[in-house]
Amino acid sequence: MSAPIIKLENVWKTYQLGKTEVNALKGLSLEIPEGAFVAIMGSSGSGKSTLLNMVGCLDSPTKGKVFLKDIDISSMPESQLSQFRGKVLGFVFQEFNLFPNLNAQQNVMLPMVFQGTPMEERKKRAEELLDMVGLKDRIAHQPSELSGGERQRVALARAFANDPEVIIADEPTGNLDSITGEKIMAFLTKLHEEEGKTLVVVTHDAKIAAYAERIVYIKDGQIVDTIY
Amino acid sequence: MDQIKEYFSLAVRNIRTRSLRSWLTVLGIIIGVFLIVSLLSLSEGLKTTINKQLQALGGEMVMVMPGGEADLMTSMMFGGSKLQREDIEAIQDAPGVDTVSVMSYTGITVRYENESKQVAISGLGPWKESVDLFSNFYGWQLKEGRWPSKGNHIVVGSYAASDLFSKEIKTGSEITVKGKKLVVSGILNSVGNQQDDSMIYMDMDTYQDITGEQKGTAAYAMVKLEEGAIENVVAAEIEDALDETRKRRSGTDDQDFSVITSEKMGEIAGTILGIIQMVIIGFASIAILVGGIGITNSMFTSVRERTREIGIMKAIGATNSAILSIFLIEAGIIGILGGLGGTILGTGLAKLVDTIGKMNPSFYLTTTVAPWMIIFALVFSFVIGCLAGYFPAKQAAKLKPVEALRRYE
Repeated sequence: MSAPIIKLENVWKTYQLGKTEVNALKGLSLEIPEGAFVAIMGSSGSGKSTLLNMVGCLDSPTKGKVFLKDIDISSMPESQLSQFRGKVLGFVFQEFNLFPNLNAQQNVMLPMVFQGTPMEERKKRAEELLDMVGLKDRIAHQPSELSGGERQRVALARAFANDPEVIIADEPTGNLDSITGEKIMAFLTKLHEEEGKTLVVVTHDAKIAAYAERIVYIKDGQIVDTIY
Repeated sequence: MDQIKEYFSLAVRNIRTRSLRSWLTVLGIIIGVFLIVSLLSLSEGLKTTINKQLQALGGEMVMVMPGGEADLMTSMMFGGSKLQREDIEAIQDAPGVDTVSVMSYTGITVRYENESKQVAISGLGPWKESVDLFSNFYGWQLKEGRWPSKGNHIVVGSYAASDLFSKEIKTGSEITVKGKKLVVSGILNSVGNQQDDSMIYMDMDTYQDITGEQKGTAAYAMVKLEEGAIENVVAAEIEDALDETRKRRSGTDDQDFSVITSEKMGEIAGTILGIIQMVIIGFASIAILVGGIGITNSMFTSVRERTREIGIMKAIGATNSAILSIFLIEAGIIGILGGLGGTILGTGLAKLVDTIGKMNPSFYLTTTVAPWMIIFALVFSFVIGCLAGYFPAKQAAKLKPVEALRRYE
């Protein structure tokens, strides 16, 4: 197996809820190898969202260490981390999270703006990506003019904008009907297989998890089982 | 640079998304800047007018007024002690003095065509020299009639003639003051100052007969200098002479009079106008500050509303400084839009006032829009915008992506 692109080492995450402390993650360790397709499964409250935030370097652990490409993210200042995250990781959210006042192409271009990609290149790449997800004729549409499936495909294109090594998807089909959901999963699988992208999908849906090569079950902030 | 352009268009989009709230915020700044520009242009116009009048007075005149320089304003408005006969003689005898004219004025009830009004009347003496002096330095001209030739003849200021009484005062009309009948022999042209245009002028003797003011005294003396005499030198001579007479009379050499050259008058007017301008800038700045708080408020609301967006932007690679820039640009745009709007409206009002003033001589207001005002207004509103936006922007920038994403979930 190749070297891990994301590594969690004895990670604890404690939230202060009023006077009580809640341990969302309890000494969890996880390695995600480059090029892998991993699904993280668990019921709500199991800590899977917290785990996704750790894997996506969106949050820092209370205790323990998170490595992204062998770099300890706690050693990086926030602004550097943002840049690094924007380059290495691409996110797909359950609620699509597109910017309502930007059209499809502008949404896809935005991550490239933050990386300082020149204008012409941004435009071209956004067109290619939207073409890839089958939305070539929807390029100038606002999110409100697109269906749920189309919006998620724009979000997919956006996740790929900076050609990231890892795609992190949080319930990517949660807001879609099953047929559209399958299409989205087919896209993701295809990209993983053809371009060798590392894929981390968080879901509570066993059908979605079934696409993955490895399923990590999480309960009460700990990994209870891993199926290869 | 390319990125800043991109942030700029993002900021513009954000402003457009909440256009009503943005425009209301802009309106707050517009009002502040409008106040600054219109009031400053008025006070600047006032300054120009006063300077013009002072220049018209020329360099060869010195005024003597009762009251020390410190309470000059008070004695100008309420009348201080009078110049006595020996004071006036002393002035006349001072080297470099050509002629001395004296002047007093007071408010009194005047009857005209069965109508009584409180009017300012002024006595001038000696009459002929005074008329010469006022014509030379003050622009007196007869609109109609003739200069008075008898003691009971008077001239009436243009505004007093046309507007004070319901019936217009014409040459040859008769007015009654304290039972004494006076004949209007002439009407003056406007001298460009409503206060002076509202007065009725007569010979000092007649004035003192009517008002009961002691003969030989006066409120002011206006000194015309000999050819080639130097204003400041003559002023000093007059001061010395007056010191002498006062010392003889009351045993002190406390100066209770002021000798004012046109240069000094300019200085005094400049100081007063300076204070007025400071007060205007102060008040208008408060207005802009309130507008600025409006920006802060609007931006804080916007940061709260867009917490999730900020989280997404961070997740897809936006750095703190990128978020900070976007929000700061947004606040700056609101500020500068307000500045522009306020400047346009303020300049518009100033031009309107100016036009009305030119068309209607009795409405004597001029305005001057100086370039520094526009620059000041624009820079000030932009800076206020950025300052007002700084804290909300800082708050937005330091949001952790995970916290931003978790909100509203």
